[in-house]
Amino acid sequence: MESIADKLRFDPCQLPDDLHLLRQEVRAFLTDELQEYSVVKRSHSWEAYDAEFSAKLGERGWLGMTLPKQYGGQGCSAFERYVVVEECLVAGAPTGFHWVADRQSGTLLTRYGNETQKKEIIPKITAGKACFCIGMSEPNSGSDLASLRTKAEKTENGWLVNGTKIWTSQAHRADYMIALFRSDPDPDKKHAGLSQFLIDLKKTRGITPRTIENLAGGKNFNEVSFVDVELPADALIGTEGEGWKQVTEELALERSGPERYLSCFYLLRELIDVLKDCANPAILAKIGTQVAWATTLRTMSLSIASQLHAGENPTLAASVVKDLGCQFEQSLPGLAQELCDLEPTLEGYGVPYQQILGNLIQIAPSFSLRGGTPEIMRGIIAKGMGIR
Amino acid sequence: MNELQNMLHESVSRLFEDELDWDALTRYEKVEWPESLWDKVIEQGIDKVLASESSGGIEASWSDAYPVLRACGRYTVPLPVSEAILGQWVARQSGAELPEGIPGLLTQGFSIQESKFSLNKSIVPWGSRCSYYMAIHDSELFILEAQKQEVETQNNLGRDPRDRISGEARILDRFPTNLDNDSLLYLGALVRSIQIGGASAAALDLAVTYASDREQFGRSLAKFQAIQHHLADLAGLVASVDAIAIAACARLDLSGITDDQRNARFEIAAAKCRASEAVEKITRLSHQIHGAIGFTYEYGLHFLTRRMWAWRTEYGGVAYWGQELGKLAVESGGNEIWPIITA
Repeated sequence: MESIADKLRFDPCQLPDDLHLLRQEVRAFLTDELQEYSVVKRSHSWEAYDAEFSAKLGERGWLGMTLPKQYGGQGCSAFERYVVVEECLVAGAPTGFHWVADRQSGTLLTRYGNETQKKEIIPKITAGKACFCIGMSEPNSGSDLASLRTKAEKTENGWLVNGTKIWTSQAHRADYMIALFRSDPDPDKKHAGLSQFLIDLKKTRGITPRTIENLAGGKNFNEVSFVDVELPADALIGTEGEGWKQVTEELALERSGPERYLSCFYLLRELIDVLKDCANPAILAKIGTQVAWATTLRTMSLSIASQLHAGENPTLAASVVKDLGCQFEQSLPGLAQELCDLEPTLEGYGVPYQQILGNLIQIAPSFSLRGGTPEIMRGIIAKGMGIR
Repeated sequence: MNELQNMLHESVSRLFEDELDWDALTRYEKVEWPESLWDKVIEQGIDKVLASESSGGIEASWSDAYPVLRACGRYTVPLPVSEAILGQWVARQSGAELPEGIPGLLTQGFSIQESKFSLNKSIVPWGSRCSYYMAIHDSELFILEAQKQEVETQNNLGRDPRDRISGEARILDRFPTNLDNDSLLYLGALVRSIQIGGASAAALDLAVTYASDREQFGRSLAKFQAIQHHLADLAGLVASVDAIAIAACARLDLSGITDDQRNARFEIAAAKCRASEAVEKITRLSHQIHGAIGFTYEYGLHFLTRRMWAWRTEYGGVAYWGQELGKLAVESGGNEIWPIITA
């Protein structure tokens, strides 16, 4: 009677009724706010950087919603934040400025930060005034993250950091970085030699971001070099040597959200409009299967939110949703191109649908790279099933 | 799972696990009708999990019945148990009492003129064994006599009877109902989605066990990354089928399928569309992981996969439900699709 599938149950989650009002409020706000926003920008969604927009969300109390009230948060449930986040994603709101802070940094600091860090920084996160970036990957440590080599040496006054991080989104304009460094050089302590640090990028010297242009011409991610960077002793987050455990928890937040299946939802909306007079049964059925997929993924994603809300640790389930969500969103641009011969165009040419398609076709390869590849996700799933 | 769901899950799984090993499944599909198992199903009241109390049921919700329906898929029950369960729910919704015996659900191939009910090659699960038929037409639930019609016996790929019935059927009883003409189709689609979830989960379990036991190149198949990724892929697909099916049950409990405003029709369509689409890869991967042994009759993976291939199109497949959802999408417009999903 025991079944592997029982480990992968996604109990349905009915959102509390009163969230309906919040949803309507967010929708109305976004409709108003994004009127003048170009469609291509909308298709960038959580990678589009707009400090002004983030500050407006902050004013409304829609950032860091789950963080404790004593530090300026709302003390809301995970569901309230979920509603705001999914509405922003579907509307193609430019959430890049606050994205990392709202999704994971605020929670990480609440869990492991010291009082000074919490008092000083969390209010900035909830106000939409702090942009965070994540210093994890390195030139020689991608999927094998624990092999990273950027070292933080203990000094009299704090830490001395030397090394290089890469693929760090927003590092060229972020206010803070939370980075994982090797604090113990003992080669036997691969995972146990890692610690997390908070870095004030505006005040710290010796850090040089170099923007890396992506294939679509976008300039979001960076290579960041650290040369004799001095950090104060209290830059350490949590416990020395516990970095890997803390990062794993952080990655659970990074991998479980609705952004892992909604990246191309704006394209699906536009595609449906482009095909509005379509009577071809095969094309309609293809659209229908995408709608069924999106509905299924939303059910699963929401179920994870409720597991997180209940204090469970849905690492396995979250990996499954990230893997499936990635398949869905990554295949959408290609499918759209098969269903309709309107050619993908560069920004400024063609109808909005063509521009969105042009953008998403180009950036879709990154969907299965960021936040852990499907190969890594499947390894985690296999382990969760007890076969690895 | 709540207490009732746990209890139903355990008792029904125990019965089917005990009764339906390889020998029994083979005998039932090659030689005999599983009469004694059907008697046990009736004796334990499994068919009446959704029935009204006055009909001897426990008036459970669809969410509660979900583990029972899923077990029908998981253990490839060669009996019309899911049909009987849903028939009882339809009766309960319509204030009807059903006769004893096996119901035949009519979803197509029938017409009614001046109180004369005619069947024309209507595909009926276990049609030749049915004691009566059920059909919904213009706000009436019809209970029809299942005798004297012409029966063309035919099995689906799972070797379960899908007989073609033709001829006139005497009306035994009729009840006003608020269910729509296509309600049986929707409910049939829902139970097949749930059964596909159950069968998929069983196929996944077999694949994991086989990959762990079987050794090649000096180690178990499960140690090969390619196989691990197949298994992980398979597990994700199985989870997706289960997730939307159980969500459709919850929605059905909450809003029914007839309410004009918001009802479970959208989720049911999505569940069957997803399940039917996923069957292709679920069966392909489970067979691939098993290698040649899975292709033999002797191993028994086929009890699951053959049924999934059949269930894939029964009560509408990807083409039907995909088009329904596709039409809904283009008619509503791109801006409305998200509000529909989140309603």
